[in-house]
Amino acid sequence: MIGRTAEYAGLVAVLALLVVLFGALSDHFLTSITFTTLANQIPALTVIAVGMTLVLIAGGIDLSVGSVMALGSAVLARALVEAHLPLPVAMALCLFTGLAAGAVNGFISVRWTIPSFIVTLGMLEVARGGAYLVTQSRSVFVGAAMGPLGMPLASIGLSPAFLVALLVVASGQILLSMTVLGRHIFAVGGNAEAARLSGINPGRVLLSVFAISGLLAGLGGIFHIAYLESADPNSGIGLELSAIAAVVIGGTSLMGGRGSVISSFLGVLIIAVLQSGLAQIGATEPAKRIVTGAVIVSAVILDAYRRRVVSNAVVSIQS
Amino acid sequence: MNTHPLSRRDVHIWLALVVLMLAACNSAGERAAPTAGPRRIALVMKSLANEFFVTMADGAKAHQAANASTYTLIVNGIRNESDLAQQVALVEQMMAQTVDAIVIAPADSRALVPVLAKARRQGIIVVNIDNKLDAATLKDAGIAIPFVGPDNRAGAHTVAAALAKQLKRGDKVVILEGIPTAFNAQQRRLGFEEAMKEAGIDVVAVQSAHWEQDEANTITAAMLREHPEVKAILASNDNMALGAASAIRQANKTGQVTVVGFDNIAAIQQLIKDGRVFATADQHGDRLAVFGIEYALKLLRGETQPQDLQTPVDLITASK
Repeated sequence: MIGRTAEYAGLVAVLALLVVLFGALSDHFLTSITFTTLANQIPALTVIAVGMTLVLIAGGIDLSVGSVMALGSAVLARALVEAHLPLPVAMALCLFTGLAAGAVNGFISVRWTIPSFIVTLGMLEVARGGAYLVTQSRSVFVGAAMGPLGMPLASIGLSPAFLVALLVVASGQILLSMTVLGRHIFAVGGNAEAARLSGINPGRVLLSVFAISGLLAGLGGIFHIAYLESADPNSGIGLELSAIAAVVIGGTSLMGGRGSVISSFLGVLIIAVLQSGLAQIGATEPAKRIVTGAVIVSAVILDAYRRRVVSNAVVSIQS
Repeated sequence: MNTHPLSRRDVHIWLALVVLMLAACNSAGERAAPTAGPRRIALVMKSLANEFFVTMADGAKAHQAANASTYTLIVNGIRNESDLAQQVALVEQMMAQTVDAIVIAPADSRALVPVLAKARRQGIIVVNIDNKLDAATLKDAGIAIPFVGPDNRAGAHTVAAALAKQLKRGDKVVILEGIPTAFNAQQRRLGFEEAMKEAGIDVVAVQSAHWEQDEANTITAAMLREHPEVKAILASNDNMALGAASAIRQANKTGQVTVVGFDNIAAIQQLIKDGRVFATADQHGDRLAVFGIEYALKLLRGETQPQDLQTPVDLITASK
């Protein structure tokens, strides 16, 4: 537990650096509106990154999250606009769609021991096709039917969706560090064979993390519509890459066995500040791409460097 | 290790597939022979995952169904709008099937010219719709391909001019551009800019949201913070207008900042009614491919000489 605060310090430093930088480049960046707007933009990416963190720690990967989010939001929009179902029912359908897609990912990859990379790549296609089918490839306007979930609360400027996303982050971290399933996720990702020998059922653990990831992609779909007021069947293309980038910036290992949900959330914040700040200073298209790529890699390098310093410190304390 | 009982069935499935493919080749070969029957027209689109092109393709299919004795239609689209290689391959496939005419919405105004030139040399009629092929490249390739479609620049100008009447000289606006390399995107941006300049309105920023709702939302939110005095967002398509409108609502500026779009998609209707989006342009997406097909049929019958043909763009506001 020595490294816990230090673990976050590196990411917080990167975040602070970006904020200060954009603050210097724009007269209007360092305002409370900037940060509340930013917070209200990220609930979908945040919860999806939480799911992705669990999957990566367990040694898998989920490439389907963007498509599953689009499929979930498509189902939700159609259920509201065409079938006129009550909002809670439509939301439940959206969550169920995500859960089912995630469970299928997990089941196939466990049952036939197929790498999750390829199974979820398949689901990326299938779910995207499903989203096109459900919406007939048309944006569906939902409007006020979604209620106040994505609207900022007048008192604090933050949306209920963002608060729910924070809750999901907290629950995800508690699941990882305080529950049996959490310990098993680390064990399976660290060494599946050793985990099996110690009596853990790796299949069940993998199935759980993929189901959770799918469920959270569905939740992301709800947030997405609540925020944008309409379901776009092309939404979330490439979202899996943003989520993976955020999670890896947060120090979660692509090889499994190591990671933290809170760090992933800091990774999400870094990506969001970057996107928002670059738009606000009016960066050109090439500049946006080059800077984003460079920051992602630099953050990971910084993190690797900090990790070495911390582990050296731990070693010298112990010796 | 364990031999699957399925493997024999797999072999059968493969055999069946091979037979089917041979049969398909055969029938393609038969159809290749010139017949007096209906003409065969290939419609090569951009992404059929995009609402606009779906509308276009649906319009074409309905038209074909009503004119089944005149022509048959093969509709193909590419995976995403920037997949040039796939569209080139599609054109080659259509050439191999020796269709009578290709009606194409090119994914790029230059990269498709060489393969279309090849099709022309093979005697296939080619009609360009949606995204206009680059004139200089066509000249270099030594071919002329007629363009049948709307004037995006004039359409955007009309929308922006209607918006300008709602604003006053010196007001500030932001333009959301499409994919900057696309001819449509450039034309619409130019149309917006010209109308704003004529009205003495100040364009404080032009940023690309790549036709996307999500990105348009992020950029609009940032622009509203950076330029709090902005009065309107000019989005080069309705999808981006949707994203802009939701950002305006989030910033609690509905009524203070207005939006215009382009395309008149179904999802924008309610926003126009509510006054959150002031105007959009209808380029009759459902008729765009049909205009091209009708023109190709005319050329096939030798009724006209190839030349560009302009199709209508209408201004849509709440009052209309």
